[in-house]
Amino acid sequence: MNVKTGTERQMATDTKRSGFPYWLRVVLIGRNPKFTIIRIVVLVAVVFTMRAYVLLPIQIKGPSMLPTYQENGINFVNRLAYLRSEPRRGDVVAIRYSGESRLLMKRIIGLPGETIEFRSGQVFINGEKLDEPYMARDFTGDWNLGPEKLPPDKYYVVGDNRSMPERQHVKGEAERRRIVGKVLLCKNWFAFSSSQH
Amino acid sequence: MQKLVRILFIAALIGAAVWGWWVLFPSPERAIRSQLKKLSETVSFDAKEGTIPKGFKAQKLLDYLTVDVEISVNVREYPVHTLAGRDEVMQALLYAQSNFKGLQVKFLDINVTVGPDKQTATANLTGQATISGDRDLNIQELNFSLKKVEGKWMIYKIETVKTLSQLNRPAEFLLQ
Repeated sequence: MNVKTGTERQMATDTKRSGFPYWLRVVLIGRNPKFTIIRIVVLVAVVFTMRAYVLLPIQIKGPSMLPTYQENGINFVNRLAYLRSEPRRGDVVAIRYSGESRLLMKRIIGLPGETIEFRSGQVFINGEKLDEPYMARDFTGDWNLGPEKLPPDKYYVVGDNRSMPERQHVKGEAERRRIVGKVLLCKNWFAFSSSQH
Repeated sequence: MQKLVRILFIAALIGAAVWGWWVLFPSPERAIRSQLKKLSETVSFDAKEGTIPKGFKAQKLLDYLTVDVEISVNVREYPVHTLAGRDEVMQALLYAQSNFKGLQVKFLDINVTVGPDKQTATANLTGQATISGDRDLNIQELNFSLKKVEGKWMIYKIETVKTLSQLNRPAEFLLQ
């Protein structure tokens, strides 16, 4: 004699009614479809809000931030980082072009009003050598620029890869309004291998 | 039931009328965006494309530009260069078509500002060019100036924008 429990009876009824096995229904829409819908709506709203106002996901293209950030790495831009404070030296920031579909990822090395200069790849701020722990300790290169004083609302940004030819490296003075936010992770979270290599 | 069907029919009719108006009489901003999208498709080509379609595209490019169009390019690595007139621009595209395997151009984040006279406009955008076989993305912010000629938005000036302004090189390096 077969005895069915309440759950088994429910499963059998549901399977008969919908044509789907009960376990598949649980996996797909949960035990309570109403709660599942509410959960989905809340999740979508949270993700949308985070994406629009808090964290902007980015994928890194190009070698200018090597070795700190690898190409094709995934990272996030914290849009709220400069809500109460101004960008600081050493911060890795995202800079926008005409919008946010494409961004530049650079490190701030010069602050508004400072005089900046490159001598053999070494950075000098107001005539003093800048200590850059993110660069190789004995790094020297052939970059020679400046000296030049930064305007009041501009930050000097550059990539960490100073072994690149200077003319091929995108760098320069960024207006404050173009800085979207601070890059969240100090290193890449993970990197996709590129089929273009 | 019949009343509901009637209401739905009227709603659909109003929707179709609004959509028709939207398509037939686009706002200047939408018309410019559409024009720029078509322009990006016109200058793009792929490796498989034949000579005749490429030539047709180069000819079609003229539809978007005024006779006295001026394109001013000031980017790092290259000296400042200006293309003046439609013929020079067409020659530049023909040069690209014969020297690159393929070129894909996209205009992103288009910000259109229409002048108070509604006859002139500027579009600030990010141009992205991908050359076949080249793994680097070429990204440049651009300003397009447009004016209405015989009811159509035509480009009369394109300028590159310096997203990051550069430091000057010391005099001894400028001489090199």
